[in-house]
Amino acid sequence: MTLDPTVWPLLWKATLETLWMVLPSALLGQLLGTALGVWLTLTRPGGLTPNPALFRVLDAVVNIGRSFPFIILMIVLIPLTRLLVGTSIGSTAAIVPLTVAAVPFLARLVEGSLREVPAGVTEAARAMGATTSQIVTKVLLPEALPGLLHAFTVLVISLLGYSAVAGAIGAGGLGDLAIRYGYHRFDTATMTVTVAVLLLLVQLVQWLGDRAEHRADHR
Amino acid sequence: MTIATPLTHVSSPAAAPASAALELRGITKRFGGHTALEDFTLHVPRGSRTGIIGRSGAGKSTLVRLLSGLDTPDSGELHLGGENLLTLSPAQRRQRQARTGLVFQHFNLLAQRTALQNVALPLEFAGVPKVKREAQARDTLAQVGLSGFEDRYPAQLSGGQKQRVGIARALVTGPELLLADEATSALDPETSASILSLLTRIQQERDLTLIIVTHQMEVVRSATTHVAVLDHGRLVESGETGRVLANPQHATTRALLGAHQPLAELAPGETLQQLTLPALDAATLGRLAALGGRVVEAQPTVIGGRQQVLVWLGVPQHLSADRLLGQLQPQAEEVA
Repeated sequence: MTLDPTVWPLLWKATLETLWMVLPSALLGQLLGTALGVWLTLTRPGGLTPNPALFRVLDAVVNIGRSFPFIILMIVLIPLTRLLVGTSIGSTAAIVPLTVAAVPFLARLVEGSLREVPAGVTEAARAMGATTSQIVTKVLLPEALPGLLHAFTVLVISLLGYSAVAGAIGAGGLGDLAIRYGYHRFDTATMTVTVAVLLLLVQLVQWLGDRAEHRADHR
Repeated sequence: MTIATPLTHVSSPAAAPASAALELRGITKRFGGHTALEDFTLHVPRGSRTGIIGRSGAGKSTLVRLLSGLDTPDSGELHLGGENLLTLSPAQRRQRQARTGLVFQHFNLLAQRTALQNVALPLEFAGVPKVKREAQARDTLAQVGLSGFEDRYPAQLSGGQKQRVGIARALVTGPELLLADEATSALDPETSASILSLLTRIQQERDLTLIIVTHQMEVVRSATTHVAVLDHGRLVESGETGRVLANPQHATTRALLGAHQPLAELAPGETLQQLTLPALDAATLGRLAALGGRVVEAQPTVIGGRQQVLVWLGVPQHLSADRLLGQLQPQAEEVA
């Protein structure tokens, strides 16, 4: 088992492709998922602005979004991806399905973090005359910050996994490299190095996430 | 403070007298089939320290939610500073009620904000610029004895210090009315006493009206000038604290006053029986009397996290004590 030295530039390129797929999707997913999570929290029965009908719709959307296997989701979204990016192949195109998968995933995590903010605190804010948007921006989100950072960490790591799946259908990245060289060509050395890079990325993200969460947590 | 009768509020539809900081007239609030407050009338004199006492389930929490604007009564009038809030739009009403300072049992501080940022929060909601609101918050923290604690997070403060931050937050907007809801119930006795004396001092210095909602008569005794006793959603007794405590008229008041003042002596020929009841209300007293038992002492207590009343009964010897207690409460214990 020897490593072909020409694999290093490929590995570097694949790493960049993976990051290019994952980071924009994670940021977009965090933004939209947080909004959806807040919306779920507000409209749920007993929330600040209960709306049972809307809540049931949002809740169903999140459940459906989360139950789609990612590989199926990618295929289903090809028309949307073509519409937005112009093509359904390549790392940039993968950002679309990755973001769509990220939003409901994150919304659920955000909803959980927001639920940990004690009801007494939001009621106190309401009694002090806070508007609903003030409660969201000045109470709920800042109080849930450690949980939100944790959710972001989990999201990035999940997307690293999803991006490998995206690689299987033409998105490039580390997953693609591992499958093409490692699996199809029986190149165990390249496969091992590629998986090691993925593993290091996951470790790095988890370490950074834990650090950020710890520093942001004053509870 | 007047003892409320149903007639007074029906016959006086005019604005509340200037002497009232807060006046509730004929307030009813129901949750489903349960009536939390029924035809509830209360007059809180301006500049008083008024205790509102009752057992759990008496309607205290509902009252606090109405006074803090978190709930709206089904009927009645709520006058704050001479203005009937219930005729205002919800937005206007919230704006008025935001001027009432609230102190909570569990402090309800924001864990991710420092003491200073917590105190500044109501001003932030009101749109006061950062420099100004932080200066005001700093001053208010100093008034509750927390200079030097500005940058501490709630997790770095003791229970008493957290409640001081809570009080500073309630005061920072300069309210005329301060509402303390079981503000010392989560604190040890020594800390409770210091918080009560702080509230008393602030009430006097700022000449505001203080309402202390509690289930502990000790709190009423040590910190209030007036008291209103709630039972089953109704006002059963009210007046100046000294007068009410010296001569309680209602069984609930006497029960809340507890074992320090035996209600009656044991008569010759009676045996003493102790039992625990969920509440000592008029209906229970009636049933006890019908069965031949006489309450000689009662003391509120907490058993297994639930509010209960320990009751000592004088039972005539010729009555079968076992039968009497069996009809009321299976777990009654004989102590004498």
